[in-house]
Amino acid sequence: MAASAESLGAFLIGGYLGPLAILAVVLASAAIAGVAGRLVRISLLLTLPIAISVVLVSVFTRAGTHVLFSIGPFDATTEGVDFAGQTLVRLLAISTSIGLFGLTTDPRSFVLDLERRGLSSRFAFVALATLEAVPAMVERAGVIQAAQRARGLDTEGSVRARLRGVLPLVGPVILSSLTEVEERSLALEVRAFGRPGRRHLLWRVPDSGAQLAARAALLAVLLLSIGARLAGVFPSLP
Amino acid sequence: MLELRGASYRYAGYAKEVLHDVDLRLDDGEIVGLVGPNEAGKSTLCLVASGLAPASIGGTLRGTLTIDGVEAAGLATHELAERVVVGFQNPNTQRSGIAATVFEEVALGPMNLGLPVEETVERTREAIARLKLEPIVRRDPQRLSGGQSQLVGIAALLAMRPRHVILDEPTAQLDPAGTRLVGEALRALAGMGTSLLVAEHKTDLLDGLCTRVVAIDGGRIVRDGPAREILDDPALAELGVEPPARARLSRALAGLGVDAELVAATAATEAGS
Amino acid sequence: MTEAPTGTSVAVEGLVHVYPGGTRALDGVDLAIAPGEGVAIVGQNGSGKSTLVRHLNGLLRPTSGRVLVAGTDAAGRRVAHLAATVGLAFQDPDRQIFARTVRAEVSFGPRNLGRRGTKLERAVDAALDATGLVADAEANPYDLGYSRRKLLALASVLAMETPVIVLDEPTTGQDARGVARVEQIVASLAAAGRTVIAISHDMRFAAESFGRIVVMRDGRIVADGSPAEVFAEPAWPTLASTFLEPPLAARIGARLLLGSTPTEASLVTAVTGSV
Repeated sequence: MAASAESLGAFLIGGYLGPLAILAVVLASAAIAGVAGRLVRISLLLTLPIAISVVLVSVFTRAGTHVLFSIGPFDATTEGVDFAGQTLVRLLAISTSIGLFGLTTDPRSFVLDLERRGLSSRFAFVALATLEAVPAMVERAGVIQAAQRARGLDTEGSVRARLRGVLPLVGPVILSSLTEVEERSLALEVRAFGRPGRRHLLWRVPDSGAQLAARAALLAVLLLSIGARLAGVFPSLP
Repeated sequence: MLELRGASYRYAGYAKEVLHDVDLRLDDGEIVGLVGPNEAGKSTLCLVASGLAPASIGGTLRGTLTIDGVEAAGLATHELAERVVVGFQNPNTQRSGIAATVFEEVALGPMNLGLPVEETVERTREAIARLKLEPIVRRDPQRLSGGQSQLVGIAALLAMRPRHVILDEPTAQLDPAGTRLVGEALRALAGMGTSLLVAEHKTDLLDGLCTRVVAIDGGRIVRDGPAREILDDPALAELGVEPPARARLSRALAGLGVDAELVAATAATEAGS
Repeated sequence: MTEAPTGTSVAVEGLVHVYPGGTRALDGVDLAIAPGEGVAIVGQNGSGKSTLVRHLNGLLRPTSGRVLVAGTDAAGRRVAHLAATVGLAFQDPDRQIFARTVRAEVSFGPRNLGRRGTKLERAVDAALDATGLVADAEANPYDLGYSRRKLLALASVLAMETPVIVLDEPTTGQDARGVARVEQIVASLAAAGRTVIAISHDMRFAAESFGRIVVMRDGRIVADGSPAEVFAEPAWPTLASTFLEPPLAARIGARLLLGSTPTEASLVTAVTGSV
C-alpha cells in the first residue's frame, strides 16, 4: 500500500521537492528495517538503464532556450537538464518505494494475508506455488546433474564441454516436471484443493494499530495531494 | 464400505482398457493388500477405486463404484476427497509445494476441507504423532529425504480422517523402521473403522498387516481371499509376486521337519525378543 | 559381460562430511573394499549411506579424510574422470532419463567415456541383454513402465563397464521379476570380477547377493563383515540399535540353535545337517 502511495505521490507532487521528500522517507524506513544498503544497490541497478536513456534523451531533445553545450546537431539545454533531473529523482522515488516493499515483505505472508482478506484460495495457491517453483526446479536440476555427471558428463571442463552438457540436463528437468504434473494435480485434488468456498487459515499475519494508522495517514496524504494537484496548488509539471 | 462392481477402465485417449471387470470390496476396518507385477494395473486400480478415475483424469469407466452407499459417479472431486484418499509412491508429486513447514503441509488437507482452526490443528497433531514426525515438524518439506517425504505424505492424507484410504506403495522409499511405522499407523486406523487398500511389493509387510489379499495381473483380479491363504500359495511367484519370507522358508523347510508354525511365530516376533 | 576390466579397489580413510547446513553426515568412516568384492551397505535413512558412496566418484568431496580410487587419491580428479572407474546408478530413473530411445540413453554413458564404433555397440548390447531390454531398444523410455525404466537406468551404467559399480537401492520399487533380474546382474558382475557396492533396505537381498555387509548408523560404520557375522545373534543388539532386523532365515536358524544362517540356502543346509 505504501509503495503505491509513494509512487503516485512522486508523480503528483512534481518538482524536486516531492520526490526527494519521498525518497527521504523511504530511505529512512529502509534504514529502520535494516535494508538500506541493499535497497540503494538494487534501486540503482534497476533504475540505471532507464535513467541513462531518459537523461540522454531529455538533456538533448527537450525544447529550451539556454544552451549549455552541443554535440553535433544536438543541443543540451538547462531546461533539458532540469527535466532530466526531475525525472531521475521521480524514478528513484518509485524504484526505492517498490524496492522497499519487495525487501521487507515476506511473499508468503503477503499472499496468505490477501487470502484472509478475501482472495480466492485457488489464486493464492497459484501464487504460492509459483514462488516455490524456482527453488524446486533448482533442486531437481541438482539431482539430475549429479546423475548425468556420474555417467561421465563433464561439467567442470572447458566452456565448450559445459555447453555440450546442457541438453542432458535440460531434457530431464523439463520432462520430469511435465510428467509429474498430472500426478501432482491428482494429489492436490485428493487433498481437496479444488473445494469451492473459503477455508479457515491457520496463519494470521500480525497487524498492529500503528500500522493501520500509518496506512490511513499515507492514504490521507495521497488523497490530499491529488486534491492539491487538481486545485493547481503544485507547480505544473514540465 | 467401498465397492467396485464389474469395473473396466480405459484411460482418456487410449483405445484399450487396462482394467477388466474388476470386483473389489473394502469393508470398514479391513486392510486389503493388493499385489501383482508392475504394469499389471495396481496403480490404475487405486485410481479407479478412489473415484479420481474418471472424475479427475477422465477416461471411461464401465461398472460402478459405490462409496458408503453413494454412487461415486455423481460426486465432484472434492466430494470424493471427503470420503476417500489415495496416495502414490512418488513423494515429490505428493507434496503440495506451498507449505513452509511439515506441520503446514500436513494441515493443508483438513484446512482445505473448510474445518475450523482448532479441528485442523487437532487432526494435524494426531497425524504427526501417528507417524512420529514430531522431530521434523518445523522442517521445510522440500528439504526432506525421500523417506521422510513419504511419511509426511502419508500423514497429510491421514490428517483428513477419511473413511477409506488407498495407498499405492506407501513404503517404497522407507527403511525397515519406517515400513514398520507405517504398518502400525495403518493397523491403528483400521482399528478405528477405516477401510484400507494397500498396494505393495513388500509381501512381508502385508503378511502381518492384511486381512485379505487381492492379486491383479493383466488388469484382472486373479486372486481374492484371506491374506494367509493367498500369500502361502506356491503359484504366487509365477504371478510375478515375491512370496513373504515366512511362506518361502516354510516351504523350503517343510520336508525337513521344521514346523510352519515355528516359522510363522519367528516371523511375527522381533529379533531378540 | 564383455572383455571389461576386472574390479579395482576403493577406500575411504577417516572420511568426514559436513553438509553446508551443518549436518555431519559422515563422522569419520574407514572402509577399504578390495578388487572384486561385493559389499552391501545397509542402515537407516540418514545414516550416511548415500553420502558415503557419492564420495567414490567425486560428486561429494570430503570435509576431511581421504578417498582412494584404484589406490590413488580422488582429490583433484574430476567427476567425469572418476566416472570411468566408478559407475553409480541412481535410485530415481526419472531424474536422469533424457534420450528419445532406450538405446540412445544407454549409449550416453559409454560415449562420454570415449567409446565409439563397435566397442560402443557391444557394450550397449551387453547392457541391454543383461537388463532384459533388448526388445525395447528402439522404444521411448517413457513408454516403459517404472520397473523397466529403473532397469534402463541400471543398463546405462552397466554399459560404461566400470571396474567398480555402485547401485543405489536397486531393488526398491521392483516387482519379483525385477528383483530377480537385479540379483542375476549382481551375480554376473561378481563372476566377472568387478567390484560391486549396493545400498539397500532389503536385508534378504543383501544377505543373499553379497559377501560383505557394512552397517551404518549416524555417519559411522557399526558393523562390517560377512552376512554370517553381521546377522549372527550376538550382533543383533547392534542391528537393533539402528532399527534393522536380520533376515528371517537368520532368526529361524538362531531359534533352532543352528548358528548363523543368514540365507535360505545356509538355513536349509544347517537344518538338513542337523536332522
